[in-house]
Amino acid sequence: MKYRAGSVLRLAAPFRALTQRSAFLFLILAAIGLMILGKAETLLIERVRSGIVDVVAPIMDVLSRPAAKVNAIVDEMRHLTELRSENQRLHLQNGQLLQWQEAARKLSAENATLRNFFNIVPDSRVQFTSARVISDSVGVFARSVLIKAGEHHGVTTGQAVITGQGLAGRILSVGDSSARALLITDLNSRIPAIIEESRERAIVAGDNSGQPRLTFIGRDNQVELGNRVVTSGHGGAFPPGLPVGVVSEIIGDIIRIQPYVRFNQLEFVQVADFSGVIQAQDMPSDPESGIP
Amino acid sequence: MPLGLLHWLDRLARNLTPLTLSFLLVIYSATPLRIPEFGPVAPNIGLIATCYWGIYRPDLFPATAAFAVGLWQDVLVGTPLGMNALLLLAIHWFILSQRPFFKGKSFAVVWWAFALVATSTAALLWLISMAYYGRLLNPTPAAFQGIMTVALYPFLTWVFARTQHAVLRQV
Repeated sequence: MKYRAGSVLRLAAPFRALTQRSAFLFLILAAIGLMILGKAETLLIERVRSGIVDVVAPIMDVLSRPAAKVNAIVDEMRHLTELRSENQRLHLQNGQLLQWQEAARKLSAENATLRNFFNIVPDSRVQFTSARVISDSVGVFARSVLIKAGEHHGVTTGQAVITGQGLAGRILSVGDSSARALLITDLNSRIPAIIEESRERAIVAGDNSGQPRLTFIGRDNQVELGNRVVTSGHGGAFPPGLPVGVVSEIIGDIIRIQPYVRFNQLEFVQVADFSGVIQAQDMPSDPESGIP
Repeated sequence: MPLGLLHWLDRLARNLTPLTLSFLLVIYSATPLRIPEFGPVAPNIGLIATCYWGIYRPDLFPATAAFAVGLWQDVLVGTPLGMNALLLLAIHWFILSQRPFFKGKSFAVVWWAFALVATSTAALLWLISMAYYGRLLNPTPAAFQGIMTVALYPFLTWVFARTQHAVLRQV
């Protein structure tokens, strides 16, 4: 019996080493296979990924709350110390804004008259879903966040993710109750845009840095520092006019913009479904639909 | 029999501690801290876990565990599926092959060796990412992540060591 056990062990040792080695090789091949599959079958892989994230999303949601709370307290303290100067600044700004309000009222009235005149269908078919951001963008070479809203809440792939400041990104993949948003700073993000002042078209192309580049813009462009960049509406994913950022750097041919959205302060975002707006352009005009 | 079953369950839970702890820490590392410019250079928890358990309890943290933690990171962080899994597998293989060196060494020496591993990992991640995306990438975030990971190593080692002492003494 002893002899047999010994011989089995002697036989088993190299066999075990072999299976261990082949298991390791198998895992390596599986990892590489997954990467290749991820490139070829993006939809399938994203579907699986979303399914898993859905399960963990409630945990991440709970975990993200204390961090948000601590952040709020720190912010509060900082604001308290700056109260006086802030007050002065706001007084000044209020005066300016009142003037703008006056101008906006006039323009709004004029706009309403002109819309009536041309029978334009109003862009009021936008559906918003608000969602908490439950993960930071912690990939070294990826810029995306998870949000706590999914298919159940009407979120679908390609919708715009916005904040009060401007465009943050678009929905990349959707699970039942969570979704991943690709930020405009990500390497794979391309947003058709237009320079508000000169009306020149360009693409806002993320490169993982904090300041995306403006590409596909003519060499003899008239872009200047401080120009506003908004979505152009080309390609049909976003409506025209969503604020993206301001031109912050021009070095030779390389133009960079500073996004309006502060990505490190994302706590809540809105997922906007503009499909109604985009479809509305194909629908017959209805003079009775009213002006917003 | 119920006692036997309980014993078995207890043992299973203890054996799975390194993996469970790593999974939880990866989830925690992905939650938003809202520190400016922190996200891209947030420390690589999976790397620390793989190194620590690979050195001290490889029996409870086999290659499959490294693969699973890496895949878990890929899923939560949004990196291409399989990228961190591949990276951690390579690290796991390296750590296990160098185990005789780590054995019985002082913490300072292990930390220094870990710094070398983290640097190589950053370089490897940069190379794999470039191969995957098919374009040149700025290596700075990877380098900074390496530095942050090395800085966090003593703290996480303390957490792992406490856990090992409390839960895995008899296992």
